[in-house]
Amino acid sequence: MVKKARNRAKGEVVALVGASLLLTAGLVAACFVAPTEKTMGGVQRIMYLHVAVAWFALMAFAGTAAGGATYLVRRNLIWDAWAQAAAELGWVCCSLMLLTGSLWARKAWGTWWTWDPRLTAAFVLWGIYSGYLIVRSSVEEPHQRARISAVLAIVGVVDIPLVILATRWFRGIHPAAPQMEPSMRAVLLLCVAGLSAFLSLLVWQRQRQLDHERLVGLLRARVQDRVF
Amino acid sequence: MYAKLWWLIQKDLVSEYRARCVWPPMLVLGMAVALVFSMQLELLAEQKRQLVGSLLWLATFFAGTIAIDRSFGAEREDGCWEALCLYPIAPSWVYLAKFLVNVVALAALQCVLIPLMVAFSDVPLFAHPGDLLVVVSLGNVGLAAVGTLLSGLVMSVGRSSSLLALLALPMVVPILLACSEATRLVAQDTLDTAWWRWIQLLIVFDVLFITLGMMLFGFVVEE
Repeated sequence: MVKKARNRAKGEVVALVGASLLLTAGLVAACFVAPTEKTMGGVQRIMYLHVAVAWFALMAFAGTAAGGATYLVRRNLIWDAWAQAAAELGWVCCSLMLLTGSLWARKAWGTWWTWDPRLTAAFVLWGIYSGYLIVRSSVEEPHQRARISAVLAIVGVVDIPLVILATRWFRGIHPAAPQMEPSMRAVLLLCVAGLSAFLSLLVWQRQRQLDHERLVGLLRARVQDRVF
Repeated sequence: MYAKLWWLIQKDLVSEYRARCVWPPMLVLGMAVALVFSMQLELLAEQKRQLVGSLLWLATFFAGTIAIDRSFGAEREDGCWEALCLYPIAPSWVYLAKFLVNVVALAALQCVLIPLMVAFSDVPLFAHPGDLLVVVSLGNVGLAAVGTLLSGLVMSVGRSSSLLALLALPMVVPILLACSEATRLVAQDTLDTAWWRWIQLLIVFDVLFITLGMMLFGFVVEE
């Protein structure tokens, strides 16, 4: 039992170190290896982080809805813990996406913000999952919280296709799928892979923490029942 | 089943007719918002045509939130919700009944707001009545579909209506944007492919939100 736990802990450390190295390699490559873009110069390097966090935010919110839907079917709170962990990390990434996008836009378009269809859809997504986290924090009973959150996450996920397809459906200034050099594309893929691996591990760890919190709460309630 | 659905709709409409506690404040707020917008905006005719859609749908959202919030808020009082749960009908049909009542409330609101907007801004919204009716109907259906589900959710959590506005606003932004743009194109007499694209988006959102509402409402009100 102890040996199994030790092996598991070792595996987790190895995975975390591997994901951290991949993420560091991606960020270093984005800063020093990727060629400098002609018109925008060094500021264009923000794109590597922007695309990586945007990708992870969309995946995390889709995961939140999937976790919520699975909870509604199976009624196991572990799925709610997955949904919460994914929503928290997704919200952080979505905020970073808006921030890095704004910095990039200042240089590229001369403004911090514009109501381009994709930007608007991304902002709406951020608002939906901000509401999701607020609702979560306002409900005490775990199963009620899980049910309500699952419904919100499933309704909110409708906005994800809008974010992805906004550049195709509507005329806007956000680049759709810009042509880039093979080396730039490779660096971008490395950044996306590194950040996704690292944050996925964080989601996993957060889910476990939430699950342990719930178990500790249950144990505490049982002990109190015995004592009083 | 349809008779039971009609009884639920009738119950809400009759109770509103007797109490008159939701529609009058909703209509007054809608008119006040429309009046304030119209008084503050001394614009050229073309600028008014560009803005009238956004103003109409903002007023509809703000005033309509009162009706949508009360659709379940009223059920909290005097054990009404517990009595309604005893009614032999699936939760999805309760959702459908509340949704239809909200559509009627929003339609009543716009029967007042649109002529008021036309009178104050002198924008020829009635030049294409059929197209305007399509936009208004689809917009009301979308707002009511999302609003009814979220109103049930807020009631279930036992929170105030401020939470409803907080949750509803980001969810309905795509619908409000599509309605505003489609109404602007009606006012500018440019019913081209762009208008049709907004209508398609509204249809997609309406179908999605009604389906999700009917599927998920049972989970929202589960005890």
